[in-house]
Amino acid sequence: MAKIDIFYQVEGITDIGHCELDADEAFTALKAHLCKKHGIVGELLIFLEDCEEPIQEIVLMREHSHPHGIKVHVHRCLHVEVSVRFNSETLHHQFSPSVTVARVKSWAAKKLGMSADDATEHVLQITGTHDRPQPGAHIGTLTKCPLCQVAFDLVPDERVNGQSDEEGVK
Amino acid sequence: MNSPDERAFLADIEKPNFRLSQLEGRWRLLSVTWPHAYIGVTAKDSREFVVRFNAQGYPHSPPTACLWDLERNEILTPDQWPKSSGGRVGAVFNHGWKQGTALYLPCDREAIAGHDNWRTEMPSKIWRLEDGIVQYLELVHELLHSRDYRAIAVAAA
Repeated sequence: MAKIDIFYQVEGITDIGHCELDADEAFTALKAHLCKKHGIVGELLIFLEDCEEPIQEIVLMREHSHPHGIKVHVHRCLHVEVSVRFNSETLHHQFSPSVTVARVKSWAAKKLGMSADDATEHVLQITGTHDRPQPGAHIGTLTKCPLCQVAFDLVPDERVNGQSDEEGVK
Repeated sequence: MNSPDERAFLADIEKPNFRLSQLEGRWRLLSVTWPHAYIGVTAKDSREFVVRFNAQGYPHSPPTACLWDLERNEILTPDQWPKSSGGRVGAVFNHGWKQGTALYLPCDREAIAGHDNWRTEMPSKIWRLEDGIVQYLELVHELLHSRDYRAIAVAAA
């Protein structure tokens, strides 16, 4: 039986995990595997990356397979409250915990009227820290149930010589 | 038997965060000839830049890296380096600094020497051994996808 690579991120844990399961198994098998492996108890939701709703667990994994396998998120909450502060403006939105930091940045840049090109010169930094989660990090890894909130600042990605590269930003 | 630094490096490139990016085409491991590792990083114009890491002392000592020409087995000639519009890319990919033997990044072993001010000025780019080689690769990949990156002109055949 064909195997499938599964890359998963878990509520409150920043490392990416990996396992390999039969492609013809349903997501229930993945849930059972992860609960056992990580000693998780209680109700868990499995989301495909960047999907707003949890996956129906009876669905077969092969139906969502890509060349890189499947990317999923495991969390106890349906939503994460996200805020993004830029200059004097603060945006708020509820995202699925499987949404990537890259997608949150893209959403914020669009809301702020920033071009996609200008957005590449900015990064999301967790408010009150110097932490800049990688673009592929799921926002659910940055918070835990029942808090389920993440606050970011959208900051210029500074030049290594210390000058901010702000030219051309509208 | 492999040295501890080589074992640590080989363990890190087996981790899911390295492998996932490799499967997604962001970078790929080309070869390891310790203490060097050759990793191709894909730019936004799909050009692949080969980065040669010297990972001696990994991960407690940060790696140092340069752009490499695999065919000629030497540092990439300046005309083939990533082009900048005067911003972040040119500051990091600066062939005029140390003859191109290291990238001007705070997470680079050669670049951090003498730049203690970077520890407070740009702490997010200081080497984090818990993130390892992926941190360095993410910074390089991000630069090669930034607004400042300009593709080099390719001569017509």
